[in-house]
Amino acid sequence: MKSKRFKTALLLILLGAWLAVAGYGYTQTRPTTSKEALTRVVIGFQKGDIVDISRQHQVLAQKMKAAGYQVVFKEFQDGAALMTALKSGNINYARLGDAPPVVNQATGLDLIYIGAGAAKEEGTGILVKKDSGIDTLAALKGKRIAYAKGTTAQYTIIQALAKAGLSLNDVKLVNMDQSASSVAFAKGSVDAWVTWDPFTATAQINQNAKLLTNAKGLAKDRDFVVSSRRYATKHRAISKALLKYMSQDMAWARTHPKQVISMQSKMLKLSKKIMRLTVERRTFAMTPVTTSIVKEQQQIADVFYEQGLIKKRIQVKDALLN
Amino acid sequence: MAQSANTAAGQPRSSYIKWHQLLPWLIPALLIALWQLAVATHWIDSGLLPAPLAVVQDGIKLWQSGELPKNISISLFRATTGFVIGGLAGFVLGLANGLSHTSRLLFDSTIQMLRNIPHLSLIPLVIILLGIGEPAKISLVTIGVLFPVYINTFHGITSVDPNLIEMGQSYGLSKWQLFTKIIFPGALPTILVGVRYALGVMWTTLIVAETISSNSGIGYMASNAQEFMDMDTVLLCIVIYALLGKVSDLIAKALEDLCLDWKTKGGAANG
Repeated sequence: MKSKRFKTALLLILLGAWLAVAGYGYTQTRPTTSKEALTRVVIGFQKGDIVDISRQHQVLAQKMKAAGYQVVFKEFQDGAALMTALKSGNINYARLGDAPPVVNQATGLDLIYIGAGAAKEEGTGILVKKDSGIDTLAALKGKRIAYAKGTTAQYTIIQALAKAGLSLNDVKLVNMDQSASSVAFAKGSVDAWVTWDPFTATAQINQNAKLLTNAKGLAKDRDFVVSSRRYATKHRAISKALLKYMSQDMAWARTHPKQVISMQSKMLKLSKKIMRLTVERRTFAMTPVTTSIVKEQQQIADVFYEQGLIKKRIQVKDALLN
Repeated sequence: MAQSANTAAGQPRSSYIKWHQLLPWLIPALLIALWQLAVATHWIDSGLLPAPLAVVQDGIKLWQSGELPKNISISLFRATTGFVIGGLAGFVLGLANGLSHTSRLLFDSTIQMLRNIPHLSLIPLVIILLGIGEPAKISLVTIGVLFPVYINTFHGITSVDPNLIEMGQSYGLSKWQLFTKIIFPGALPTILVGVRYALGVMWTTLIVAETISSNSGIGYMASNAQEFMDMDTVLLCIVIYALLGKVSDLIAKALEDLCLDWKTKGGAANG
């Protein structure tokens, strides 16, 4: 019966250890927020974006707290889940790129633009291998190009091909997420990759890649902070405070590139060299959405509609609160 | 492990025992050696696939920073909670449908319809219904675990030898006795197979569940590392999943050996 006792002991030890660790995990999931009666404001973000900089810099949260709001940051791995959470009211604000608000407005999400970030034209573009022999946009003809659907990359490639006098049928577009694209590009399974920083910088530094063209004159690749109409109409003061303090955070980021570089490289686990390239070719801002920014967005909407990527013609200015 | 001890008991030569205990680890060890060799000889670009040693170093670094223990324990909490809820629900439903014809007609086809929905496509629904907190993540694991336990419990109960039940009835056993002495022990092996399978499903669902607005857990660690091509951490997460899978399997197997003691002994049910 020795073996049975051994087995029972083994089972109990394993089970005990398992439950102990799980119990410890439970204590880790409890939020460590204050119990003061502040209005909760939940902001969804993706790792390494401008909201993440605000979060790490902590000034936004402190100033909002002084104004009576408790800011809760929720991290998302993908834009789709972020949008669902905004739709269902689990988050109040979301940081998105320039194409997703257009796509979502077209699918009937009643979103409101709260603020706009700076243009990031230099870090976004079309990557090719240095030794690929592709030196002009026209040389992309017949090549396989990786991009992510419904993002600024899609808009950029459409505009770039149009500029070179090519149509979407002259190239083979492959829709892939960033990690799949990165591997496919490194292995040579695709000839070009349309993406944004820090992926562009990573490929340039680690994967022997060059920018065939950046997005200058093609796309702006701005960041946007959006909310739902339901929330935004009721909480104008919060939106205003958020915009104000975020723009202060961005002003800090603009004048402290060194800190931003080390902060971001720690956050994203990317080398300082990559982050330096990323930070030095962009600027940080958070401003109200101006008429010219609305025009930029409207152009994305029109191009996406012409290409059949969205099924409805939309007016971007409808998504503003005035 | 337990199994090899059993087979070894009949063998006099101690070298044979050792050999048999090591055999299960031969293929993993060979794979790791091959992997290290491939990277060392530059057959694979170490930028794309880091060497095992680099993965271990990454593990040590993350462990020291406290990130790894935190993520493992949180994942374990989510997995266990989801497993307990899902397993119990699956067991109760399987029991009810195995024993009652009405219940079977009422629930079975609904469950079968829900069974084949990919978890990934459930995410939007889960966010809308349960939000983005812990309940959302746990519920996905629950759903994943429920079906294997349900199907095996159901199958186990319906396939108990009817002759045995008839015999029990002729011995004058009450319905409750019939259940505890014949039906449940008879179904137990199949139920435990379901539990073992569910433990595997638990881990695979968890990695999906942890992509819902999380900032902790191994699934988060993996998908985050994947996005920024941090291959060391991606591989580390794969290894952790493999090890956790092995540990859960060990537990399930030990449980199986203990519960199914009566089978090998040929004695009375152990209750």
